[in-house]
Amino acid sequence: MIPAMAKIQFCVLFVLYIVIKCDSVNVDTISSDIKIKNVDRSIDISSQLVKITSKVTLENTGKVPVKTFLLAVEGTAKNNLAFIGAKDSSNKDLRLVETTVKGYDQVKFWRVELKDTINAGSTVVITTESVYTKALQPFPTAITQQEDQLVKYNGNLYFYSPYNVASQKTNVIINTKSVESFTKVKPFSQQDGTIVYGTYANIAPFSEKELNVHYKNNSPFLTVTRLERLIEVSHWGNIAVEEIIEIEHTGAKLKGPFSRYDYQQDHHSGPASVRSYKTLLPASASDVYYRDTNGNISTSNMKVKKDSVELDLRPRYPLFGGWRSHYTLGYNVPSYEYLYHSGNEYLLKMRAVDHVFDDMQIDELVTKVILPEGSTSIKVNFPFPVTRLPDSLHYTYLDTKGRPVISFTKKNVVENHIQDFQIRYTFPRLLMFQEPLLVVGFLYTLFLCVIIYVRLDFSIHKPEHPHKD
Amino acid sequence: MPTEAEAQHANVRNKGIFNNMTGFSTLITVTVLLLAWLAGFASRLFAVIRFESIIHEFDPWFNYRSTAYMVQHGFYNFLNWFDERAWYPLGRIVGGTVYPGLMITSGTIHWILHTLNIPVHIRDICVFLAPVFSGLTAIATYLLTSELWSRGAGLFAACFIAIIPGYSSRSVAGSYDNEGIAIFALQFTYYLWLKSIKSGSVFWSICTALSYFYMVSAWGGYVFIINLIPLHVFVLLIMGRFSQRLFVSYTVFYIIGLLLSMQIPFVGFQPIRTSEHMAASGVFALLMAIGALKYLHSLNPKRQWKQLLILGGLVAAGTVFLAVVLLTYMGVIAPWSGRFYSLWDTGYAKIHIPIIASVSEHQPTTWSSFFFDLHVLVCTFPVGLWYCIKNVNDERVFVALYAISAVYFAGVMVRLMLTLTPVVCVLAGIAFSILLDLVLKEDEMQIAPVETEDSKNLYDKAGKLKKRTHEPAPVDSGLGMNVRSGTLIAFMILLMLFSVHCTWATSNAYSSPSIVLASYGNDGSRKILDDFREAYGWLSQNTAEDARIMSWWDYGYQIAGMGNRTTLVDNNTWNNSHIALVGKAMASNESAAYDIMTMLDVDYVLVIFGGAIGYSGDDINKFIWMVRIAEGEHPKDIHEADYFTERGEYRIDSEASKTMLNCLMYKLSYYRYDSGGSPAGYDRTRGSLPGNRGFQLTYLEEAYTTEHWLVRIYRVKKPDEFNRPRLPLSKRKIVTSNNLSKKTSKRRKGLIKNKPTLVKGKKVTKLE
Repeated sequence: MIPAMAKIQFCVLFVLYIVIKCDSVNVDTISSDIKIKNVDRSIDISSQLVKITSKVTLENTGKVPVKTFLLAVEGTAKNNLAFIGAKDSSNKDLRLVETTVKGYDQVKFWRVELKDTINAGSTVVITTESVYTKALQPFPTAITQQEDQLVKYNGNLYFYSPYNVASQKTNVIINTKSVESFTKVKPFSQQDGTIVYGTYANIAPFSEKELNVHYKNNSPFLTVTRLERLIEVSHWGNIAVEEIIEIEHTGAKLKGPFSRYDYQQDHHSGPASVRSYKTLLPASASDVYYRDTNGNISTSNMKVKKDSVELDLRPRYPLFGGWRSHYTLGYNVPSYEYLYHSGNEYLLKMRAVDHVFDDMQIDELVTKVILPEGSTSIKVNFPFPVTRLPDSLHYTYLDTKGRPVISFTKKNVVENHIQDFQIRYTFPRLLMFQEPLLVVGFLYTLFLCVIIYVRLDFSIHKPEHPHKD
Repeated sequence: MPTEAEAQHANVRNKGIFNNMTGFSTLITVTVLLLAWLAGFASRLFAVIRFESIIHEFDPWFNYRSTAYMVQHGFYNFLNWFDERAWYPLGRIVGGTVYPGLMITSGTIHWILHTLNIPVHIRDICVFLAPVFSGLTAIATYLLTSELWSRGAGLFAACFIAIIPGYSSRSVAGSYDNEGIAIFALQFTYYLWLKSIKSGSVFWSICTALSYFYMVSAWGGYVFIINLIPLHVFVLLIMGRFSQRLFVSYTVFYIIGLLLSMQIPFVGFQPIRTSEHMAASGVFALLMAIGALKYLHSLNPKRQWKQLLILGGLVAAGTVFLAVVLLTYMGVIAPWSGRFYSLWDTGYAKIHIPIIASVSEHQPTTWSSFFFDLHVLVCTFPVGLWYCIKNVNDERVFVALYAISAVYFAGVMVRLMLTLTPVVCVLAGIAFSILLDLVLKEDEMQIAPVETEDSKNLYDKAGKLKKRTHEPAPVDSGLGMNVRSGTLIAFMILLMLFSVHCTWATSNAYSSPSIVLASYGNDGSRKILDDFREAYGWLSQNTAEDARIMSWWDYGYQIAGMGNRTTLVDNNTWNNSHIALVGKAMASNESAAYDIMTMLDVDYVLVIFGGAIGYSGDDINKFIWMVRIAEGEHPKDIHEADYFTERGEYRIDSEASKTMLNCLMYKLSYYRYDSGGSPAGYDRTRGSLPGNRGFQLTYLEEAYTTEHWLVRIYRVKKPDEFNRPRLPLSKRKIVTSNNLSKKTSKRRKGLIKNKPTLVKGKKVTKLE
């Protein structure tokens, strides 16, 4: 047990060391060979998230083939960035490595490693995707029950890049016609639900120009302030998942009274409030429960679909701006879908975080994986950088030395983080019989004690009549 | 485990009685008791199956909350717990004002399970504690009855008590209350008492005292034990049944029981300072005196000594009585407390302590509820009582006294039906056992004589008895075959009806969690009304951590337990004037109520309003008690008559009195209420249209109302929110005038022209 722990600790330290090293050592330079021919960017701000998808056409104007290029994020926005990724033309994920460039300390860079090199003179199309949380500010910050929620988006009119951009076009998707105000830099046009900027030609590297949109956005502004996900693996064929969720409406705060009368009067009352949302669970999820500290929350519906189980969760009360709620959601899934083994070697492959609602944002995620008692040489593989928490032990039914718990945490999580992590461990299969044998042994001893006790005579005073059986 | 211990105990006893069929009868006993346990447990699970594993009603929420506190912080911290979440601003010393037996019991179970790595949540332990204890009660009843009569009667009694509605009403899963474990303690104490009085052994007396100690720690009803046992002793003395056994068992029990009971912080010195406990000390003194006289008599057993003995006894009794009266008069001993006094004078509470009278379970019992709670047993238990009196011995005197006193108390208060139920089961068990003995005797002619012969040893050895036990045998042998089978079938049908009724009553009347309501649609679909938890959940999540909630005392425990917020008054109605103050606030008009609310630092007001769904237990229906309680403390400000119409009717429609229509409770209930039946705003509970509608609230604002309007929460405004002209726009403009110089916005210059309105200008200067 102890050497194994030491090993794990060493592993973790080593991984951390490498990560830190990578961080500090990675210094790139901006290649002057790369030019961006065209950028087709869409900024989706119709939900509570800012999702920017850019189709970038890269051109190698130099003589040497290029293997990597850089992505940049403005210094002002980097704290809100939850996810960044890039795909090549065949929709394959590309590897991104965080890096820095001398002279641009405020800017955050990623080095994208291409699968195929760009030969001199040729072009390649890359799609980059980034998701920002808390980038939409409700304005006004407090509204009454009947008012619509107005939010402000503050972004960059140009595609932020270390390279020269020859031409670019930006679609801002707002999905509403009611726009209070927006930045007007010609050429632009406003069609229903979208504002189109561009085409702008020849924008210098690192150019920034304010893009403001102030518009109506009544989509749910729900933030999961903390999500604790517990995965308990049993080798008897079951994996229990439990999520403890704290949720808050982070849109414009509710000002003044809440009137049930108005809220009941018509269905459009309280447009910015959240009545319910849908959670998708794995298709094999069963025994679902939805409760809080006061017991079952009776307002929920479950629909079993082909590829998922859809839960229609209604919090006990509608969530208005600034209102909070918390609940526990749990279910079981069969282990054969997630647990693979050969001999005594096991591999657990499960989602590090699962769907809570569409366009979710999670401030803090803590995932704990409880492995069966007696698992050793545990190796963990995460799909994205996380902070590993110290391992602990968990005691439950019939445990003697405790089950190892692997836990990790990550801040600022969005839907794009719904990815599998992997845990490899060794578990001697004979240990499965330890718990049944424990019960059998206990009962055996108990009956034996009773049998012996019945046959012993502890009385000081002998009864008068003779003993007969 | 207890069943096994019980089995062994029975085993040992059996060897003497049925030599040849020990194993068989033990098997039957164990099986029947086990089945009784199972049936009792299962019939109490309706609420869990229909709803969920949840704590019910009001008091259990406090018990659950304090148990959870004890489990989390440890026993000593629990004893020293000062709960600042209750009775704001007074607080409550929980450890010293609670019977800790319940919490300790479930805390111990929790501790044992967790040392064995069985992670059962404390809530589930609390929910299932009472059903589990119902099985123990059945076993204790079996022991008690077999001590009194026979093992067969014991089995009947055990089966009866396992499912009888009178007991299951207080012990369904989720009703986590003192009574759930106290009935077990009560029955077990009585069993041990009979055991000790029969054997005269110090061992059994000490066991009685220990069991009594558990009872004291569990329920205030221990007073029943500490009065009934002395009464038993006293009656035995009068009957001339004084014996060394009686002397030993009572003196040992009294001394040890007294010392132990004083260890409970809530009881403290009450056993030697209050009238409720004086009967026990008086009987103790009397028993000592008679013991001494008897001893003197035994030295010189002559005729005149016997007269002296009787005289001495009477003098001693008189002296003891006078001493108690004198001490009470001098104030050394506290006189009867109101709650006990109201047991003798049924009209007392209504006049002097409205807070006791306001509770529905303190009302006198109706005849129908006797039948509802006890069914056929209410008719058969007198038979058992008659047999007990006919074949009297020391123990049977006890059960007769138990039955008579319990019948009286049950008649006074619905709640005390609970103490009657066990003795009814015992006596009905005896009655049924006798009956079956009569009709089934024929087949067991050979065994029957053995039984009666042996039962002689069981009973007291008083000489008269011998003949009587033999009497039934020749009488019943005359019964014909048809009569026997007819009787048998009739009684079997009765028993079947009994069990059907028990299940039905438990399921329909006693298994509602009352914090979750269910309504059924025409197609049989169930709709759950979860408004209480909705409101408490809202409170716990969306109000400030230290927010103070004012509500009627009924909801205090629930707000603290589920909402985790500070309350002003709660179900531990220890401070009548505080409750009266809240009642006064509810009964006053808005501005007068606001003064009280600011005085008490109230942040939110919570009212229960059932008008939208026709829920009859709401605050408007309870309101008249609030008025009465408030009037008791503030007779100058609140007059009950003001809230009735001129014809003395209590109504809420346009004919209601002015005071009624303008009081805070009325306004909070009907504020912007336009839901409900066909005329909008129709009150379905009262069946009328509210008389005052469309009004505005000045000092409060609606903070939250649940989906079915059941719980309404209002926020008390701060003085700066209403104490100004109603022009929020102009207010906003004046604030911006400060920024004017910085922003140099031209549009806003016009606003300065508005400034000359001097009245408003003054207030602004004040603010800044």
